[in-house]
Amino acid sequence: MMEDQEEKGNAENGIGRQKQVKDEYLLQFLDSLDGYLTLLDSLSSTLSQGWLELASARHAMGASRINGALLDLKVHAAATSLKVSEQDVDSMESQPCFTLCKWASSDNGERSSGEEKSLSPQLRHRNNSQLSGIISSPQRQKSLSVFGVLVSPKLRSAQLSFERALETLVEIANLHTTMLSMFEQVHKELENTNG
Amino acid sequence: MYGFEAMTFNIHGGYLEAIVRGYRAGLLTAADYNNLCQCETLDDIKMHLSATEYGPYLQNEPSPLHTTTIVEKCTLKLVDEYKHMLCQATEPLSTFLEYITYGHMIDNVVLIVTGTLHERDVQELLEKCHPLGMFDSIATLAVAQNMRELYRLVLVDTPLAPYFSECITSEDLDDMNIEIMRNTLYKAYLEDFYKFCQKLGGATAEIMSDLLAFEADRRAVNITINSIGTELTRDDRRKLYSNFGLLYPYGHEELAVCEDIDQVRGVMEKYPPYQSIFSKLSYGESQMLDKAFYEEEVKRLCLAFEQQFHYGVFFAYMRLREQEIRNLMWISECVAQNQKSRVHDSVVFIF
Repeated sequence: MMEDQEEKGNAENGIGRQKQVKDEYLLQFLDSLDGYLTLLDSLSSTLSQGWLELASARHAMGASRINGALLDLKVHAAATSLKVSEQDVDSMESQPCFTLCKWASSDNGERSSGEEKSLSPQLRHRNNSQLSGIISSPQRQKSLSVFGVLVSPKLRSAQLSFERALETLVEIANLHTTMLSMFEQVHKELENTNG
Repeated sequence: MYGFEAMTFNIHGGYLEAIVRGYRAGLLTAADYNNLCQCETLDDIKMHLSATEYGPYLQNEPSPLHTTTIVEKCTLKLVDEYKHMLCQATEPLSTFLEYITYGHMIDNVVLIVTGTLHERDVQELLEKCHPLGMFDSIATLAVAQNMRELYRLVLVDTPLAPYFSECITSEDLDDMNIEIMRNTLYKAYLEDFYKFCQKLGGATAEIMSDLLAFEADRRAVNITINSIGTELTRDDRRKLYSNFGLLYPYGHEELAVCEDIDQVRGVMEKYPPYQSIFSKLSYGESQMLDKAFYEEEVKRLCLAFEQQFHYGVFFAYMRLREQEIRNLMWISECVAQNQKSRVHDSVVFIF
């Protein structure tokens, strides 16, 4: 009888732990969904701000100075690139992790000195925004030089807005993979319970 | 007061002064802008503009409209009016009217040269040029590799030729050289236009001196603010300022060493006409500076119409129309981007 009660206790503990794990996965899924929706909203407002600032720069500098016909068609390395790597989660499955490499040029071998933002959902590494602004400032100006060297501060603000939008997009991509992974986990747990 | 202009001006200039005052009456009013600012779509804007003098230029444009189409068609109206005045003008008014377009010519030259440097198609660049700044050999600009060739092959036969003496080098054209070329040309043009107006004398000299001095001062401030944090040295910055204007020479010396917007404010507030402009801005802010300068410019341009028998009315009219087109461009962008709350950020009412 004592053994029966012990077995019953163990079974109840096991069920309780399972329920706790399921709740945890569910909470993580809902958290990532909330973060995803918040980031989508933030992206929308950042892009709106960027487009308006670009229009404002066109208004200040004139349409002949800011138009699509001035963009550089010469072959050159991208100022910003995206790295996709596989990240192990819980040693069970890997999920893609997106990392933005800003203002790094492979042409002059300065890739390691470029600003790198790893935006994995588990651990965030963010450079000090003021320091990164100082470090990447010549590269940032170079990318604006298609419109001239003496450009309005409104054009620089537009550039910063679009940069922020790009960072947000990468965050969204990472959060999206996390969300899908959590959804899979929740789905598996539900199947196990029903099975 | 000046000379005996009232006795002789109307012989050659009376018809065109009457024409330009008639054109001025067609500028959009505050009521027009209020209607435009309440539009929900670009087609609404087209509908409201159809009741104005822009109507015939926009009526055949198909939907969906684009903001650049509205600006293009409105500019065509300005070009037609300018060409009508130019073909009716005699000397020295015809030369005066041509001077008004040299700024656009400089912008077009720089557009073609920059676009060619970026390996863009010449036809595509020509479509983006301002129609008031076109000249016959403009497409040939694409073959020049440096400023010497630019001058020798193309610009020597254009009105911009005299302005090139200060910037002819054999250095290859790059972004910095092109920027310095643009500003050096514009500086030489403004100084030449100023001297021409001084030679004309009378009310024209008085009114145009004030307007051109304001233009020179505004350019000095914009060059200073836009060059903060760039590779442009203090000496190079100083060389781009025009050699006339309220800020010349002491204001220029102080502006050349400014490192931020607050230092620029400190310099400008010593000059009473500009104190009122900078008092509208909060510290560290430069976003509303353009609008403040445009408002001051419009005030001065409208005052030019208070006197008769001078050429300043032609310059003032062209500038007011350009401001109106800028207003329409901004309103269209705010409507197209669904940002109507920001429409009053940059609209400058003329009346």
